[in-house]
Amino acid sequence: MFRAEMLKLTTTKTPKIAVAVGAGGLILTQIIFVTLLPALAAGTIGPGRAALGDDFPALDLGSTSAQLDALSPFGASSGGGSVGIAVLAVVMMGVLAGTSDYRFGGIVAAALAQPRRVRILASKAAATGVVGLATGLVFTLVSLATLLGTVAVMGLPLAATPLEIAGVIARGTLAVGALTLIALSIGILARSQLAGVLIMLAIIMLEPIVLSITGLILGHIPAAMQFLPLSLANAVIGTTSSGIPFPLALAGLGAITLALLGLAALALKRRDI
Amino acid sequence: MLASTSRDDGVMTNTDTCAIDAKALRKNFSAGTAVDDVSFTVSSGRVVGLLGPNGAGKTTTIRMLLGLASADSGHALIHGRPYSGWKHPLQMVGTVLDAGGLHPGRTGRQHLRIVAAQTKAPAERVDEVLSEVDMSAAADRAVSGYSLGMRQRIALAAALVGSPRILILDEPANGLDPSGMHWLRARLRAFANGGGAVLLSSHVLSDVEQIADDIVVIAEGRVVADGALATVAGSGGGDLERFYLQLTEGSRSEVR
Repeated sequence: MFRAEMLKLTTTKTPKIAVAVGAGGLILTQIIFVTLLPALAAGTIGPGRAALGDDFPALDLGSTSAQLDALSPFGASSGGGSVGIAVLAVVMMGVLAGTSDYRFGGIVAAALAQPRRVRILASKAAATGVVGLATGLVFTLVSLATLLGTVAVMGLPLAATPLEIAGVIARGTLAVGALTLIALSIGILARSQLAGVLIMLAIIMLEPIVLSITGLILGHIPAAMQFLPLSLANAVIGTTSSGIPFPLALAGLGAITLALLGLAALALKRRDI
Repeated sequence: MLASTSRDDGVMTNTDTCAIDAKALRKNFSAGTAVDDVSFTVSSGRVVGLLGPNGAGKTTTIRMLLGLASADSGHALIHGRPYSGWKHPLQMVGTVLDAGGLHPGRTGRQHLRIVAAQTKAPAERVDEVLSEVDMSAAADRAVSGYSLGMRQRIALAAALVGSPRILILDEPANGLDPSGMHWLRARLRAFANGGGAVLLSSHVLSDVEQIADDIVVIAEGRVVADGALATVAGSGGGDLERFYLQLTEGSRSEVR
């Protein structure tokens, strides 16, 4: 069944389009946040720092933290509270992997081939997880290539060590894989493509808004509210400031992923098809 | 006709003549009772036509046979076991439902490769069934460019990938041209003559009349007639259509 699910994913255009759009968006985002803004701040282009005002973010791409942040598969802006194109591409790919079988009847063929439906979910999750991890790897490598190109053009040294870079690539890949599986679960639970996409969009777009409003009202973000999918994914990547240590973030993201996959398995098992 | 093939995932003996055994199946939906106390059997070597008007309960019955929908009561057995009891069910039962569940972006060959992976059939089987349904030339075209008849042929090919002993086909003739119909009838007859069992759901009486050995007529969720085609139709003066209309447009009184 795993091979069949892999074939399903690799014989349709959706994952390829999602990776292409995500990578394209990521390159654009990284060029803006990693290349354009530092160049504006440095006065290499534009009217100069003084003319841009005090609100212009201070960006020092020569620092280790800025270079590691630039490696995020979600784009360097993600930690700043916005949702990047790469995140959208990943979750859309996951949702569509879950809903397209319902839309085109493939779920019937899968259930006929494997009446034990939990195994269908396991195969689907394994295949989607592999594609999600591969996507995460592509995204982090795209970010790395953009960073390397930028520091070379700007004549900056690569401050991050190979071990630190490898760590961000590995953690970023894991985070993308987990988000893909969360989206797959939502897709299977929703069944309808439109409903799945809307639910997933609401989840990822509301989270930064809720966190921002909470921060404005309380002056800080309570620790419990950082256990939301995007915050946990960013904490797993570890390039942005987060109060959650990596092991706890990974455990939290893993628990959310497994809980949603469990719900999807239960729904798949109990539903008539 | 006896089915004596021994398979890797179960034991079939030469006493397995009852390929499908539906017993007192019942299914309620929120809108009402879709299937009510439906019982019938399909023996190996026979083609059984499952007839009934739209909404009569044919598809729900088939879905319960295949474990896609749970029965509120009753049971359905495939060679003595529930469908879910077979380790490789697609090697036991080939099905055509909903025009095969084809993704428009895939080619016919890609669809069959997926089915072969699900069935654990060798890759060469894809070419064999494509040839069998006369779709080799169009196999690498996207399904979105297929006619309805071509989709039905791919759906039939998918049903055959696992070399099953039973075929359960829901309206398989939809969209087939006359030569396709001729091919389908010949293929199903050869399948049954080889010891296979066929359950063929249709509301096109002429199709069923030309191929079926037995018929089961369902109306308003209940079996209103079953038996050998010649016998059942004979009770309607030899006119299947008149007999069918009497049953399905009349009362729910059973004719058994």
